[in-house]
Amino acid sequence: MPDWQELVRQRLSSLALDAEEKDEVQVELAAHLEESYEVFCKEGLPEKEAVHRTFEQVADWLDLQRRIFIAKRTGYPMQKRVHQLWIPGFLTMALSIVFLVMLQKLGFNPRMVSWRDSDIFFYAPWLVSLPFLGAFGAYISSRAGGSRRTALLASIFPALALTLTFLLMFPIGFIVERIIGSQVDFSIVAASLLRDGIDWILVPGAALLAGGLLMHLLFSLRSSWRETAIG
Amino acid sequence: MIGAGIKRGTAELAVLSILEDGPLHGYEMARQIEQQTKGALRFTLAALYPMLYRMEQRGWIRGAWEISSSGRRKRCYRLTPAGKKKLSPLRKEWAELFGALKRLTKVSHA
Repeated sequence: MPDWQELVRQRLSSLALDAEEKDEVQVELAAHLEESYEVFCKEGLPEKEAVHRTFEQVADWLDLQRRIFIAKRTGYPMQKRVHQLWIPGFLTMALSIVFLVMLQKLGFNPRMVSWRDSDIFFYAPWLVSLPFLGAFGAYISSRAGGSRRTALLASIFPALALTLTFLLMFPIGFIVERIIGSQVDFSIVAASLLRDGIDWILVPGAALLAGGLLMHLLFSLRSSWRETAIG
Repeated sequence: MIGAGIKRGTAELAVLSILEDGPLHGYEMARQIEQQTKGALRFTLAALYPMLYRMEQRGWIRGAWEISSSGRRKRCYRLTPAGKKKLSPLRKEWAELFGALKRLTKVSHA
């Protein structure tokens, strides 16, 4: 029997996908050819004829390679991005904001920790909720077919959005300073940004990421459990 | 024999319909479609997989690796909620088209 894996690998060697995706395509196509060949053999065809009939399924490997590449790289990339990243990301962010506002309305005060002459705020109940929200974002993204990277990006989306806001504050602050003509001590601004970065980005981001990673782990375990159950 | 253009148009409907009954891997999908259409629709590997990948990109189906009882790794495709949603208007469109053609041929033979 021919080595179908090797034959497909040779014929689709120039398939311009990333290594993992290319390998998956090659394994899948080889399994199809192998099954076709086995059925032809069971039908009583001599081995040579069975190989010939199996190969007849692909008249032009270069054309197949091109069509697979187009199919994998086109489709509806924007729609995919919306369902796998933007919707889960914005949902995670909206829920985290709503939960924080609710806690403030209910009168929960942040815990203050002194660090280098400044106070860092920690909303403990809010921080406790963030791993769940991160897991929620990763779950929605994974359900929409998002890759591990996309799912984790969706889970830490609120922290990323805040990072972007903080980064924008620098040039905007600089422009405002120029307009009003006042001299602001840069060390004060830097200390304030560092403190707020820890309060609102680093610690919440780590909590969100922990939830996202946990959800990803659960998804991986579920997949391997399914494989074992079927095997 | 059904022409190539019509076949291309019906191929997606065939895949969505066959997956409505449960998940299948590529070879089994092609075999069942051929059997159920009595050979009118026949998918070769070259025709089937680019279409499956395209449908997966559109979010109509989702593939996942599974291990069969023979120990072979196979990629099984399932219908997604988006695919289920797509199936009903597709069926309607094709039913309308075939209905219209039927009426037309009756008129021209009258």
